[in-house]
This record gives sequence, C-alpha cells and structure tokens, in this order.
Amino acid sequence: MKYKVIIILLLVIPTIILSCSTNNKRRAEKSFILPDSLEDVPSQLHEEAMAGIIGNLASPVEVAAMLNELGVPFYQQLPASTKKVNTLQTNFEKAMALGALGADLGYLNIYNKNTRIIDYISSIKYLTDELNVGQFFDFNTLKRLCENKHMLDSLMFQSVYSFNQMNTFLEKTGRRNTSTLVVTGLWLEGFYIATQISKSDPKPELIESIGEQKIILKDLFSLLENYEDDSTFKELYQSLENLTKIYEGVEITYETGEPETFENENGMLEIIQNEKSIVHISIDQVENIIKETEKIRNQFINL
Amino acid sequence: MKKFKFLIWLIFIVNSGFLYSQGSEELLSQCISTSGKDATYLKDFTINLPEATNQQRPPVSKNSIILRKNTSYRFTVCTEDNSKSEPIIQLYDTQRLIASTFDKKTGKCYKSFNFHCSKTGPYNIFFYFKDGKKGSAIGILSYVKK
Repeated sequence: MKYKVIIILLLVIPTIILSCSTNNKRRAEKSFILPDSLEDVPSQLHEEAMAGIIGNLASPVEVAAMLNELGVPFYQQLPASTKKVNTLQTNFEKAMALGALGADLGYLNIYNKNTRIIDYISSIKYLTDELNVGQFFDFNTLKRLCENKHMLDSLMFQSVYSFNQMNTFLEKTGRRNTSTLVVTGLWLEGFYIATQISKSDPKPELIESIGEQKIILKDLFSLLENYEDDSTFKELYQSLENLTKIYEGVEITYETGEPETFENENGMLEIIQNEKSIVHISIDQVENIIKETEKIRNQFINL
Repeated sequence: MKKFKFLIWLIFIVNSGFLYSQGSEELLSQCISTSGKDATYLKDFTINLPEATNQQRPPVSKNSIILRKNTSYRFTVCTEDNSKSEPIIQLYDTQRLIASTFDKKTGKCYKSFNFHCSKTGPYNIFFYFKDGKKGSAIGILSYVKK
C-alpha cells in the first residue's frame, strides 16, 4: 500500500508543478523547408500568418516607448480609469477592457508611474480571472516588482510575457475571438493615447505614425472580418470599417533601397533598412482620424 | 512486474517534461540577459527542429511579425550551452531576405543583430540550425532604446 502511495505521489507532484509552469502553453512550431526566396508568398497575410501576427499586432510597449523617445510628457488623464472594471458585464467588454488596460500598463510602465501601476495590475488580474486566463498573471510577483522602482524593467518583461502567453493559450484553445478582442482593445487604447497627444503636440513623427496605422488597421480589420456576421462583433466591425474608410485617402509610398550591414564597435551586427515608407496625410485626415478614434474608443472601452 | 515497469516509464516521461519546461524557462531568462540592458522584451519564439534528412534543406521555424518604422529592434537567439548546433535567424520582408545572423562571406554566426526599421509592415522571421542539425533554441525580439 505504502509503495502504491509513493508511486502515485511521484506521478502527481511533478504533474501539478508542470501544470503550474507558465511555459507549458508554448505554441507548437511548424517545420517546413527553407525557401530560397519568398517570391511565391502572397503579400496578403494568410490565415497561418494572421495567427502568428496576433501576438504583436499591438504591443503594450512600442507606442508608449515611441512617445517617451519623442520627449512627449506623461498625460495622466489619458489612461482608462480602473474604477468601473467590476461593472463590466459581457466577455466582449471584459476582453476589450483587458487589452486597453494592457496598453495603459505599458504606458505607465514606460513613464515609471509605479504608484498607479498597482491598480492596473489588480484590474488586469480581475479581468483575466473573469475570462478564465488568470493563470498567466501572477499577481503577487507583478505586485512585488511594482513596489520596487528598480524592478520596473522586470515588471515590463513579466507583464508583456504574460500577455504573450495568454494570447498563445487563447489561440491554442480555439478562443481566437477573445484574443482578437484583447488585441483590438490594446491597439485601440494605444492609438487613442497617441492621437490625443497629437492634438496638443503634433510632432511630425507622431503624425507619420498615425498615418502608418493604416497598415496595422488593415491587418486588424482582416482579423475582425472573420467575425463580420457575429452579432457581438458587428458594431465594432462597422466602427473600424468607418475608420478604415477615412484611411482610404491616406497614401503610403515606398522608396527602394538595399539594406546596409556592418559590425559596430562592440562586435554587434547592425542592419540599416534603406527601403523607406513615406506617409502622405493631410491635416483634415489627421483630425478626422483623431475624432473617429476617440468615438470608437469611448464606445467600446467602457471604463 | 510489467505494471511496475510501466509506472517507472510514466514517472520518467512526466519528470522529463517538467525538466524540459524548467530548462526552457531558464534559457528564456538567460537569453533576455544576452539581449542586453538596452533591450526591452517584446516577444519570444520557441524553436524545436528535427535533423534534416538526406539532401533535404534545413528544417525551419517560421513566424510572422509586424515591425514599425523609426524603431530599432534586436533579434537574439540562444541555445543550451552544450548544444552542438548553431541557430540562425533570417529576417524577410514580404519578398526578400534583409537580415541574418549568419554572414555568408565570413562564415561567422552572430547571436544577435540590431535591425533599424524604416518601413512599417509585416515581416517573416525564420529560425534554422546550421547544417540542418537537430536542435532547440529560444529567439527573442526586443525593442532597443535609442
């Protein structure tokens, strides 16, 4: 009897530990033969590429980092409030809010606003539990990292990593509709912050970045097209369709150029892309995009 | 006796999965350290590739990413210290190869490269092992502070 108990324990304990490990949700990699070139790959993103791209269509870090590097100050009124998180009713609202708060967390983190971060972490934890993906957000670790201002880089890593793991899990378990909403919320909130800032601080780089969202929006819209007939998604789809229409007049042209490769003084390989995208966008178009984005954000992110 | 042997095998399989998972976590944090203090983690890629069979090109792992103009990215790849194979990263835009950790001219393999992006859009990132060897690795995409 004792012997059987020992065997069972030896089996059960590692299984429990393994199931707790955050690493067990990694995406299975697909293997295929290396092509000589990708000339036969259509420029339109196909289904498989789309699944992969969900993970970085909208990053909680990149928009905030761009703003910080442009020397833009922190706008404390822009991040969504966390007060109404407990009042959200549907999974649609919760998933959109989760994405939005992820973008806000990245914004606060980049600007080292650690005193405010804790509210966002608590709200994110609440929403992930509600959406049955709470296992990817270790609240105690995130809280501990947040309380130490020297650990903000680790907090950034841990929160971005948790979002990546969650999206991979949602993809693997056939819940792409939820990951699509999280990504949409993330993109919308990041874009809302950038567009609002551009009203008072229209730096050329920021305006260019607003114009370049035409490319990202196209991919996001392709994702949402899968749910065009879903009544839950209908209004969101139509709203983003309106935004896409405003972008029709924005033109992006390309200047060709060969990449330059060299080794820097530290032995690091540097590659400079000399092919450039150039955005042609008018003041009227920017204003319309700002207005429409504000409207969509306030309609779908109920915070 | 047969039942006993089966249980031992089961224990071995479960435990080796656990050890692999732990190793992978360690490799990820090691790779994040390798990517440097000026790099901010954005995404990781787990690579597990089989050995190429005769006359086959090296098996590859393909991932799609979106990169943004006026942003510097760092691509880093790491394997276990005792790995016999060298992992290589290749970055393609929609049509052509634009960056690689393997320098064909010198035959040198780098662990990472910085890519200064000037065109927003979708890109494809390929990982494979030199000479088509079997191997496991972790790739990291980071944002580099200017």
